[in-house]
Amino acid sequence: MGRIELDGLTKRYGDVVAVDGVSLDIADGEFLVLLGPSGCGKSTLLRLVAGLITPSGGRVLLDGRDITHAPPARRDLAMVFQSYALYPHLTVARNIGFPLRAARTPRAEVRRRVEEVAALLELGPLLDRRPRELSGGQRQRVAVGRAIIRDPRAFLMDEPLSNLDAKLRQATRAQFRMLHETLGSTVLYVTHDQVEALSLATRIAMLDDGRLEQLGTPTEVYDTPASVFVAGFLGSPPMNLLPARVECHDGRVRVLADDVEVDLWPGEDVEARDVILGIRPEHLHLMAAEGPAGPGGMPRLRGVVRAVENLGAEESAQCAVGGALVHFRGARPLGLAAGQPVALTTARDHIHLFDRHSGRRLAWRPLADRPLADRQSADHEPAAALHDGVTTHQRSST
Amino acid sequence: MTGAFVEIDALPRPSATVVPVAAARPSPARRLLRALPPYLFLLPAIGCLAVWTYRPLAAAVNLSFFSWNLLPTTPKEPVGLDNYRRLLELPDLWHALWLTAAMTLALLLFTVALPTVVALWTSAIRGRGRAVYRAMIFAPVLVPPVAGAAVWQWMLDPTSGAVDRLIGHPINWIHEPGPAQIAIVVITGWHLLGFAVLVVSAGLAGIDDEYTAAAMLDRASRWQTTRWITLPLLSPTLVFLALMTVLMSGQLTFPLIDTLTQGGPDSATTNVYYLLWEWGFQNFDAGFAASAGLLFFVAFGVVATGLVRLSDRLTFHDN
Ligand SMILES: Nc1ncnc2c1ncn2[C@@H]1O[C@H](COP(=O)(O)OP(=O)(O)OP(=O)(O)O)[C@@H](O)[C@H]1O
Ligand SMILES: [Mg+2]
Repeated sequence: MGRIELDGLTKRYGDVVAVDGVSLDIADGEFLVLLGPSGCGKSTLLRLVAGLITPSGGRVLLDGRDITHAPPARRDLAMVFQSYALYPHLTVARNIGFPLRAARTPRAEVRRRVEEVAALLELGPLLDRRPRELSGGQRQRVAVGRAIIRDPRAFLMDEPLSNLDAKLRQATRAQFRMLHETLGSTVLYVTHDQVEALSLATRIAMLDDGRLEQLGTPTEVYDTPASVFVAGFLGSPPMNLLPARVECHDGRVRVLADDVEVDLWPGEDVEARDVILGIRPEHLHLMAAEGPAGPGGMPRLRGVVRAVENLGAEESAQCAVGGALVHFRGARPLGLAAGQPVALTTARDHIHLFDRHSGRRLAWRPLADRPLADRQSADHEPAAALHDGVTTHQRSST
Repeated sequence: MTGAFVEIDALPRPSATVVPVAAARPSPARRLLRALPPYLFLLPAIGCLAVWTYRPLAAAVNLSFFSWNLLPTTPKEPVGLDNYRRLLELPDLWHALWLTAAMTLALLLFTVALPTVVALWTSAIRGRGRAVYRAMIFAPVLVPPVAGAAVWQWMLDPTSGAVDRLIGHPINWIHEPGPAQIAIVVITGWHLLGFAVLVVSAGLAGIDDEYTAAAMLDRASRWQTTRWITLPLLSPTLVFLALMTVLMSGQLTFPLIDTLTQGGPDSATTNVYYLLWEWGFQNFDAGFAASAGLLFFVAFGVVATGLVRLSDRLTFHDN
């Protein structure tokens, strides 16, 4: 068992609010990743759960029991620190066996379990070394070994892969996934690396400035970002975000900006409003021929190529569209050169709209007197332009 | 079609025609001039050491082979190894050595054990409270030893002293062997405690909090964490304090012995430094005192080397 519930958890340092009323329900066996930029409060949140710092407000529940003020040793959680925090004066075997030794496990039993864990993590030959005689990747595995030797209710991991090189990181990611499947325990995992988050998580909690921005599966978070912040954080390069305006012209709902024209669907009486138009770089492609941008025409962005970047399998082109810079990504070669004028388009399903002021995602809601195209809650609403209904844009829940 | 596969060499290579030219070495005078500055900076320090430490040391070595009563008018009389032979046969020496060792061990209680306990206990204190308690515990360090001795002498007085009144029955602290030894050790300890607590606190502050945090999450109790994590990581600091105690205890107790007991009663408080001083400046046997001084110098050198080795072995760099 290992269900962790956070209820309005808050941590203030003077005027700084490091964690701001975060509520989360992490189910048993879940791999929940806390994702966000540096300084957004991920480590603070993890340490609040671990009991290393006391919250200014809110509660932490473990399997329904309130542990907000329980000392760390009573919480039955294991943690992998960002610095690994391996005891420098103890050998690898002693480091891994430490939690058992603290629990007064018989010596023979400790040795047996240490050997088991060492075999699982391929640490066998290193058991007699001290931490300073290990490479970064080996230290990381020792830290994981020390966490899994006991059978805790949940694992807390603070950027465990941030000190590893790209290749080792990928290998360790696969190992983590395997470990999670074998052990089946709850994992609360902190990272600022979106690839790690998207590939490991069963659910991602996006944090910004101490606040929870979005909670959802990797697919949900990537495909339907709840805010400009999430949209601009995920993807490489992240989603293109252009200030635009939704207007109604000649019976059509359109999104317009300098050099941008997106025709959505027929509509009347739609209130004009300022929005942010979002399109992922990989969803843009070159327009085959300059078709008319009239009713039913494809979304169109016109611009000039500023630079082309080689990404290995793909190429990314930066284009000046109106006053903004739009990234666009496609199979190499794109066949573009700097200075060349281009026309880009995308499928209407790939258009995202956000409110200009609140930054929250906008979902298309048909009015009640019309047949409902979609009854999903605002959080799970697909891209704004998915439905060819009529009427107003509403702010999704904030 | 005919053809052949050739290996591609993508790295630029130096072309064969370019012959590398050895960089011209500067002239010896120039090199000397360039290497000189660090030594020039060291010169004042080395000069002081030479004048105030090495030269007297050499003089002491020399003096230990002579018999001399410190009077400029009497000539020094060469006696060979005679001073050393006499020294090793003297029971006073062994008594003083034993006493020094015992006092040093007792003093370790005040410079290592007690400061560790105090520092661990108070490590949780933060903010203003920390400054206040530190000032309180550090204050005795600032009292000059001789002034401290005078006050203690007054407090230890068997008829009117505060200490005896406090414990309720009269003990003649200064004129009975056991109590006199205890008094010397405790007063020296009182002097050093604050300093030692500061050193241990600094050592504790140097230990990364993450280790104790990790130990807590590994479900170690407070005592287990202290014993298995904090104390081992603190041990280099503790060895340093032990080293300082061993090397300094003789000097630190000297002013107390001199003002309070003058080595008595019945040489119960005569440690090696007091003995040296007596031989040299009361009996005016300079050669003899010099040979004893050298003997102690070597003995302390051996102990210090052992402790430094121990400290090196206990230091764990975690990176
Ligand atoms: N002890 C402290 N005192 C004051 N402010 C703090 C303290 N610890 C953290 N903060 C502040 O709280 C905020 C969140 O810090 P936190 O360490 O949780 O960030 P993070 O998301 O883990 O960042 P990173 O990815 O860089 O590790 C930061 O603005 C930080 O300055
Ligand atoms: Mg962090």
